[in-house]
Amino acid sequence: MKAKTLKFSAGMFIIYILITILAFACLYPFLNVLACSLSGYNPVLSGKVTFYPIDFTIEAYKMILGRKTIWTAMWTTIEITLMGTALSLLLTILAAYALSIRDLPGRKVMTGLILFTMYFGGGMIPTFLVVKGVGLYNTLGALFIPQSISVFNFIVMRTFFRELPDSLTDAARIDGASYMTVLVRIVLPLSIAVIATIGLFYAVGYWNSYFDALIYIQDDAKFTLQLRLRSLLFGNELGSAADDVGGTVVMPQSLKMATVAVSTLPILVVYPWLQKYFVKGVMLGSVKG
Amino acid sequence: MGTKRVGGTLRKAWNYKWIYVMLIPVMAYFIIFRYIPMYGITIAFKDYNIFQGVFASPWVGVKVFRKIFANKNFWSAIKNTFVLNLCALAVSFPLTIIVSLMLNEIAGVKFKKLTQSILYLPHFISWVVVAGIATNMFAMQEGSINAVLQRLGVGPVPFLSSNGWWIFTYVVSNVWKEIGWGTIIYLAALTGVDETLYEASYLDGASKFQRLIYITLPSIKSIIVTMLILNISKMMSIGLDAPLLLGNAKVMGVSEVISTYTYRIGIEKAQYSQSTAIGLFQSVVNIVILLAADRFAKAIGEDGII
Repeated sequence: MKAKTLKFSAGMFIIYILITILAFACLYPFLNVLACSLSGYNPVLSGKVTFYPIDFTIEAYKMILGRKTIWTAMWTTIEITLMGTALSLLLTILAAYALSIRDLPGRKVMTGLILFTMYFGGGMIPTFLVVKGVGLYNTLGALFIPQSISVFNFIVMRTFFRELPDSLTDAARIDGASYMTVLVRIVLPLSIAVIATIGLFYAVGYWNSYFDALIYIQDDAKFTLQLRLRSLLFGNELGSAADDVGGTVVMPQSLKMATVAVSTLPILVVYPWLQKYFVKGVMLGSVKG
Repeated sequence: MGTKRVGGTLRKAWNYKWIYVMLIPVMAYFIIFRYIPMYGITIAFKDYNIFQGVFASPWVGVKVFRKIFANKNFWSAIKNTFVLNLCALAVSFPLTIIVSLMLNEIAGVKFKKLTQSILYLPHFISWVVVAGIATNMFAMQEGSINAVLQRLGVGPVPFLSSNGWWIFTYVVSNVWKEIGWGTIIYLAALTGVDETLYEASYLDGASKFQRLIYITLPSIKSIIVTMLILNISKMMSIGLDAPLLLGNAKVMGVSEVISTYTYRIGIEKAQYSQSTAIGLFQSVVNIVILLAADRFAKAIGEDGII
């Protein structure tokens, strides 16, 4: 018996070690970003920087935060995230609520039309042509209107609405409340958690998306954060930036990593909430409606 | 009789008039941004001309398809899509299950919460950032990974510029980003395993390993199979972000996948008809694989995936 417990704890010990290594491997790139962004020229050049800064300097941050384009892009992304999340939530709630009413004539047809788009779509170019055709090309609207409803989120929300007890809504209806009143006064207050979850799903999606901006945005002034980040990280936008540093020399790598740190910070700030609600959302989604 | 029923339905529908009003913006969205593009697929069978538009451009039958099928870049993109998906799946699928099983064994609540929080984090980071970090860390000259390797006496590894190593980098980045997130579904299934089974086996003197083989794995077998089928059904589709951002001119031979190829032909070269035809081909193959996978799942007694 004693030998057995010993063996168990040996196995347990290995598991703890492995998980710790894995967690460190997940964290290491973030630490590396921070370390690179805060290190001096030579250590970064020689690849010496691992997970702590060498020759500590905040020069890279000074330079990055002094660039107007970063702020403009950040603001554009905040705008899109806010407007997009609001529109997405509105449409998703309307769709989910309306189509959760069981005896609505035409419910099946409309639900079917929505679900079908999960399996088949026009694809990149036909969608591009429509977005262009309705005049959204090179406007910020192109970054959230054409993708405002996610069918997956619609399913999650509809499943949730359906599971609300009918007795509540029916009673209100009998008392003469309109559907709008039922939605606003009864359904929504009971669904705060699911709305928060789906709102976060949308918000993170908008914050992180770059492809739509890549194909729909032409003006440099309308670049989103991810698009700006892409041209800073992979383009030669920083080539000119490195020149206007007076006396101090900053590695382009440090600048890039400082940019990465700055643009990821907002995600890290809201991460505790993200994690909590996202895990819930995945669970909700796995219950098929 | 018939008219009476129609009248009844109409009267019933009238009761729901405000619900239909709520549905107007929703259906307008789906029609404009999801269904009209489906009509736009017709340009795969047309010689699309910007000035004539989708509707008036002349029909050319399957000429466009013949053209894309004759292009070896197209077949290379299909091959690359399969190779990248297969490599990523071969590593991440078993690894996700192993990590889930290990996390499930951890008794310390705080330690578990902390590690889970860390493991989930990369899922929320955009591909632009992930690719930026990866190209920085895996770089030949200044990359910290090559610096460590060189100190160990291993020459610099061309993680980003040689075909084979690029696939490695792609898989590592993918696994890093999604491994923790992937465990959620298994962990949920694992909490559903009947506790009394473990107790009974403990009394019978089963070892931890025996319990894993005879109780834990069979209990989550169904979710494992479903996830595998789901993943296999997605073999032909691949996210555009990772290959586009991680790829570079040197590794185009392995990094150009269907989605990036569609993008390059369609948006960069403005070959609208060809790009649409490739998209359509991919959609159709996807649906066929999906239906087959669903059939297969049902045939072996699992839940369907549609």
